[in-house]
Amino acid sequence: MPRSLPSVRLAVAALLLGVAAPAGAQHLLVPMDDAQANHLKAYGLAFGALKDDIRSEWLLNYRGGSFLLPDLPSLRRAAALAGVTFEGADAARVDALRREIAEGNMDAVPLEKAPRIAVYTPPDSPPWDDAVTLALVYAGIEYTKIWDDDVLDTDLSQFDWIHLHHEDFTGQQNKLFLGFRDAPWFVQARDRDLGTARKHGLADIPALKKQVADRLRAFVERGGFLFAMCGATETLELAVGARNVDIAGPFSDGTPMDPDADAKMDWTRTFAVQGAHLEFAAGVNAMSDIDGHQVNVPSRRQPLGTFTLFGFSAKFDPVATMLVQDHRTVIGDYYGVTTSFVRKVLKPGVTVLAHEEGAPWVKYIHGTYGRGSWTYLGGHDPEDPQHNIGAPPTDLALHPNSPGYRLILNNVLFPAAKKKPLKT
Amino acid sequence: MTARRALLVATCVAGLAAAPVHAQVADRRDEAATLVSKALEFESAGKHREAIAAWRAAMAAGAVLPGVLGLERVFMVLAQEDSLLPALDTLVPRFPAEGQLRSVQLRTLTTLGLDRRAAEAFAEWRERAPADVAPYREYARVLLYNNRAAAADTVLRLATEALGGTRGLVLEVAQMRAGIGQWRGAAEAWRDVMAAEPYYESAAVYSLSGAPATQRDGVRAVLGAKGAPLGATQALAFLEVQWNAPRSGWTVLGALAPSDTAVAIWRQFADEVERARAWATARDAFAAIHAVRPDADIALRGAQAALKADDAVTALRLAREAAQRIDAVRQPVDVLPVELEALARLGRAAEAEGALATAAPALGAEGVRPHQRTIAWAWIRAGDIGRARLALRDAPLDAEDAVAGWLALFDGDLAVARGALRNTEVPGQDAVSALALLNRLPQLDRSEAIGTAFLALARGDSVQAAQRFERAADSLPDAASLLLTLAARVETARRAEARAVALWTRVATEHARSTEAPEAQLEWARALRRRGDRAGARAHLETLILDYPGSALVPQARRELDALRSGAALN
Repeated sequence: MPRSLPSVRLAVAALLLGVAAPAGAQHLLVPMDDAQANHLKAYGLAFGALKDDIRSEWLLNYRGGSFLLPDLPSLRRAAALAGVTFEGADAARVDALRREIAEGNMDAVPLEKAPRIAVYTPPDSPPWDDAVTLALVYAGIEYTKIWDDDVLDTDLSQFDWIHLHHEDFTGQQNKLFLGFRDAPWFVQARDRDLGTARKHGLADIPALKKQVADRLRAFVERGGFLFAMCGATETLELAVGARNVDIAGPFSDGTPMDPDADAKMDWTRTFAVQGAHLEFAAGVNAMSDIDGHQVNVPSRRQPLGTFTLFGFSAKFDPVATMLVQDHRTVIGDYYGVTTSFVRKVLKPGVTVLAHEEGAPWVKYIHGTYGRGSWTYLGGHDPEDPQHNIGAPPTDLALHPNSPGYRLILNNVLFPAAKKKPLKT
Repeated sequence: MTARRALLVATCVAGLAAAPVHAQVADRRDEAATLVSKALEFESAGKHREAIAAWRAAMAAGAVLPGVLGLERVFMVLAQEDSLLPALDTLVPRFPAEGQLRSVQLRTLTTLGLDRRAAEAFAEWRERAPADVAPYREYARVLLYNNRAAAADTVLRLATEALGGTRGLVLEVAQMRAGIGQWRGAAEAWRDVMAAEPYYESAAVYSLSGAPATQRDGVRAVLGAKGAPLGATQALAFLEVQWNAPRSGWTVLGALAPSDTAVAIWRQFADEVERARAWATARDAFAAIHAVRPDADIALRGAQAALKADDAVTALRLAREAAQRIDAVRQPVDVLPVELEALARLGRAAEAEGALATAAPALGAEGVRPHQRTIAWAWIRAGDIGRARLALRDAPLDAEDAVAGWLALFDGDLAVARGALRNTEVPGQDAVSALALLNRLPQLDRSEAIGTAFLALARGDSVQAAQRFERAADSLPDAASLLLTLAARVETARRAEARAVALWTRVATEHARSTEAPEAQLEWARALRRRGDRAGARAHLETLILDYPGSALVPQARRELDALRSGAALN
């Protein structure tokens, strides 16, 4: 075993990280502005503290959404190992900080309990297939993988937060049949899903995915937090709304779409969208008009711009504030099967967290449903704007300050926040 | 008039005479030809406005097709493609059977993004020529050119339905499949193309080179299958070069039975891998060509590639074979340097001296002198420093020459070595290590221990080198950590894991404050990981990060720590 000189080496480490760490500091302030060397691992530090039953605070709108942790050797060590910048804060500094927070559009939210996280993803998918699992693995946040059998057979209330891998809940496999029907990975995925459907007494993949979508809807209704990105957002809405109508093309279930499907959609069941129009053409690689960018339809494809995060009142709207904590407010856009959400199809109660100035679409939305809440973030990978099938995986070690990935990790952490009574 | 322009005029005028569009204008052929020539001149001179007027005049004189094609080119340069549409709207109904006009129409409409009109034009053409493959081929090509592979897929499907297959469209099918990521299917189509037309091999390589790593085995299976046409085999070999696997490429081609065709393909391949600096593969390709069709220049290129691949044995063999086929004038100039370098690397100094002596009458005293340095290096490799110095007797080296620096170092003369080694032409790891050590001991002018250690290294005797570096560490405490590190690096390189770990341990524990300590921690961790001791490896990576936060190795340690935690593979 190597020599152990924790106090000496931690002090050296802290000094070299550009940190003032007075002996006897009572708190560690983890700044989340430009002073932070590794924003993404800072979330892992906060999450790890919660796992060890160490309570902390999320300082909303304070220096980019900083964290205030107790000054413990274990946390200093974890921060130094992860390359996370921290500052020692004695009682006087913390008092001054709290006064500053009280006077501005800021708030300190206690983080009490590590949320139990599940990611809906195929059992054999590598972490880099999905931005959320990539972020979780890089930040060192534990999660459980669930797939169709788990959703249908187990009690989802054992999880606080579920993320949806970029799945097509309409069961049409993102219409990739058109271009990839002979690709081994496509054939394998189709056979796997068909096997699961038959096991559950369902005729085809669209029927299976609809049932899974409805279970996820019920999870939110009963108080769960749901986070989805990319095509999972749009197709979850469509699958939930199409409970009693066939919206899948003949290549996926052998029967044509119901010609009156548009009129038969039940938008009262969906989270975010109403009045959207389905894409009936099998040869057009789009599901509906929910997505503003339509990346896979050459004649409709819109160029990427930038999106702007909205500011919210930290004291009166803490959830929305938590979801937009970032050290940048304008972020470069990135494509996904669903890149954005056309504003005109959003339900009136939806909170828009980020939009593209002047564009008819928004990027990042949130809302409540029953006793739970959902958040949708368009696009596939914030650090891979084009993201083509077969592209090499993103190496987050090269993007430790990614503002786009911070949005994902805000979502992971916010279920840990203790609910405070709103000041009305 | 340039040859190219002349050819264009000839082509246009010949076209004028041949196509049905032109039949009615035969009597005005001379006038049309003059106008076409004039329009081409304007075009070549960049006088676009004048070219437009001239092409219109040529069309009025009957040169309809050359005129349309000319206008298409000029309007494209001016980004005014839409200006061509009124002319096409008139001409296509007038000459409905003229495929080239319809092709221009499809190109223009698609370029302008007028997809609906393009689809209508295509439908009209199909309706008029229901059994003709041309509408499908032309529209698919236009769509593929515009990166619309999925749309091209739709067109080719229509062709299958209407014509009962894609006969005559195999090229487009291949391009389309690659465009939509159906790599295996694309490879199959390209294989079919090359069965009939092998010269499409370059196009196939270009088309398939974008296949992601996960899809390449499918492409390999198709192009490398038994019975695949030669073009497919050739394409696969060149694809392997593109995919950074030149050795696999040669494995495919090396299996071909020797023939004129095979040798021609091998030559192309050898040129390609030589350009790609895949020296070992280039060596094998050149050697194979030379074995079938002996050629001095090929053998020499093979020898040079072998030297760059650090294969002195093959280099020497090929150089000597080249010598048998080359004239006496070229031998000392082209063959001798390669032969001497190979012999020097092999430490066959006496042979090298003999070869130089044989060539000396042809070279003359001035010609011999530059090679003395190589002879000296050969004696160094042979471990005879005295003979090395003797070799340099008639060709004294500049005191600042790197070879002089090495000789001084081996002799233990650190003062001279310190100055001269800075001039090493291509500083390798040995030179960097030597300079680092010399600068660590600025007050020390002589050290036999260091000299013999580097000499052992130069002779390729890594066991002795490691032992001598370690022994030197005992007598030179100021550089002990670096000397132990050099010993550990040598042991690591020769995969003497236990010895290496013992040395890294000494650096990390006895010299924990040295600049080599972080490297020792990292290497110690790596050795433990290789043994399967993940916890031990993790502890050392953590020590590196926490104890040496300013080290340049910390980011790498964090990366390896993350990989250990997630169970990811490390390179």
